[in-house]
Amino acid sequence: MESLLDQTWQNFTLFGNPTVVIRQTLSGISHGMLLFLISAGLSLIFGVTRILNFAHGGLFMLGAYVAMSVIGLVLGGLPGFVLSLIAGAALLLLVGGGLEILLLRRIYRSAHEFQLLLTFGLVFVIGDLVMIIWDREERSVAAPELLSGATRLIGVTFPTYRLFLILVGIAVAVALWVLLHRTRFGIWIRAATLDREMLGALGVNTRRLYTGVFALGAALAGFGGALAAPVLAVGPGLHVEVIIDAFVVVVIGGMGSIPGALVGSLLVGLVNAFGILAFPSLAVVLTFALMAVILIVRPWGLFGRPE
Amino acid sequence: MSRTKLGLWSVAALLFLVAPLGLGAFWQFIAIEALVFALYAMSFNLLLGYGGMLSFGHAAYFGLGAYGVGILMAKLSAPFWLALLAAPVVAAVSAAAVGYFSVRLTGIYFAMLTFAFQMLFFTVALKATVLTGGDDGIVGLTRPGILVDPAVYYLFVLFITALAIGLLYRMVNAPFGQTLRAIRDNARRVQHLGVHTRAHCWLTFVIAGAFAGLAGGLFALSTGSVFPGWLDWTASATPIVMAVLGGLRVFAGPIAGAFVFVGLETVISGHTEYWPLFMGTIIIALVLLLPGGILGTRSGRVGH
Repeated sequence: MESLLDQTWQNFTLFGNPTVVIRQTLSGISHGMLLFLISAGLSLIFGVTRILNFAHGGLFMLGAYVAMSVIGLVLGGLPGFVLSLIAGAALLLLVGGGLEILLLRRIYRSAHEFQLLLTFGLVFVIGDLVMIIWDREERSVAAPELLSGATRLIGVTFPTYRLFLILVGIAVAVALWVLLHRTRFGIWIRAATLDREMLGALGVNTRRLYTGVFALGAALAGFGGALAAPVLAVGPGLHVEVIIDAFVVVVIGGMGSIPGALVGSLLVGLVNAFGILAFPSLAVVLTFALMAVILIVRPWGLFGRPE
Repeated sequence: MSRTKLGLWSVAALLFLVAPLGLGAFWQFIAIEALVFALYAMSFNLLLGYGGMLSFGHAAYFGLGAYGVGILMAKLSAPFWLALLAAPVVAAVSAAAVGYFSVRLTGIYFAMLTFAFQMLFFTVALKATVLTGGDDGIVGLTRPGILVDPAVYYLFVLFITALAIGLLYRMVNAPFGQTLRAIRDNARRVQHLGVHTRAHCWLTFVIAGAFAGLAGGLFALSTGSVFPGWLDWTASATPIVMAVLGGLRVFAGPIAGAFVFVGLETVISGHTEYWPLFMGTIIIALVLLLPGGILGTRSGRVGH
């Protein structure tokens, strides 16, 4: 027991070390940016359709596998990498739209348990189809040469690809802001999040809007999966792990809020990065405790609004 | 209860009593699993079908009951009876703590909070290796005396689940259950009639947790082991699927759902490694084509 306390104290002294703090901060932010790509779509979909999409992790997984195949079979190097990102997003855009038209639009009026079960069933269908199309082997995907290796930044060396993830995350956040605030489609999305009946009454084709939102969310997940392929082990079970983190983020930030998804992602990323430093075995417990506390004191999340 | 219903229940009881005794040990084990999950799904339906509370963390109490038995027997060498008695108690105490906070929320938020607590229990079970064995779980639990024989243990489990289900039946038809259904249909109205609805839901949550814990304990003693996967989030969908499959609005629905589900799983996963694909497809088909469940009617409601 004493040695455990000693160990914890040792761990805490690391917080006084600026190099460690900077590195953990960067690593937390870069992990957070990946979480943002998944949870932004999850949150958009929930905001508009009120469906909690358990299959979102499966869409992310599909994006990672597609990217892996593009890089391995079609084209290598930097052009292959760029193509893999585009392919991941584009294919999932189609898959997402198709799923909405075939399945999801049938359950918008169903009770919560049916909505939950349908997307839950999809989790396993997608997971197993991926196993059938590819196989059960775990693989790693190489980042393009330009982005591999390490970069020196404010006194620490940090993997270049992780820095790249941070930049892409910021770019996607900005792009989403522009989409939601400067385009008609985006304004409809925000309006539907507030009051979808009213939006329909005003003459907007909500059917098409729902399909569009689901496709957009799926494309974000596919893009995220493709982008994450070089830092993940691409293999079975990815889809069930990823969705849990995304849920935690969306609940903390507020379901339906994009700024909430961003703040929630960074928060979870940082809590994980520093939690591992302080209590290596309990870091995961911390994120769920955070989720429970938020739900107890502010069920609609940091940036959501009460219903 | 009508005469035909009584007749059906008697035939079913006789079938349950005799049929598995003629089967081999494997099918006796599967029959035990079906009984245990029937009780588990029943306890869940007390929440959803009768109380309108969609818990997405019910596996926590099944798992805690199982771990209660596992830890008491393997680490503290407690006797079988004490361990089995502890299973519902451990689960009920945990459910009391979680329920206290959860019943303040409704709908999807209730589901999310029960889910968060379940993941807390799951990660603790994974990390508290000294007590739980972590990823490897607890193995090597043994039943005493004649209960070692699967046929005898089957009868033992049948007796306990029948008792528990009988208790549940009494409960849902007593004023307690009537009030619960009324809360499900219109909570505000019941509140204005002077019922402390939150306390009522809390008590229901604790009772459901206790029965789930009992099921978990019985199952741990059937397999002789406990694994953290029993507490994982995907496990929480199992009682939902079983209850919906059988019919949320029929008392015996979850029993039928559990037997059909366990049967399908046993047969299909014996033939292919893609059981999850089949399960997913079945669930999607169920939601789209048979939302009332096997025993249900679309418009029927429990006890109406």
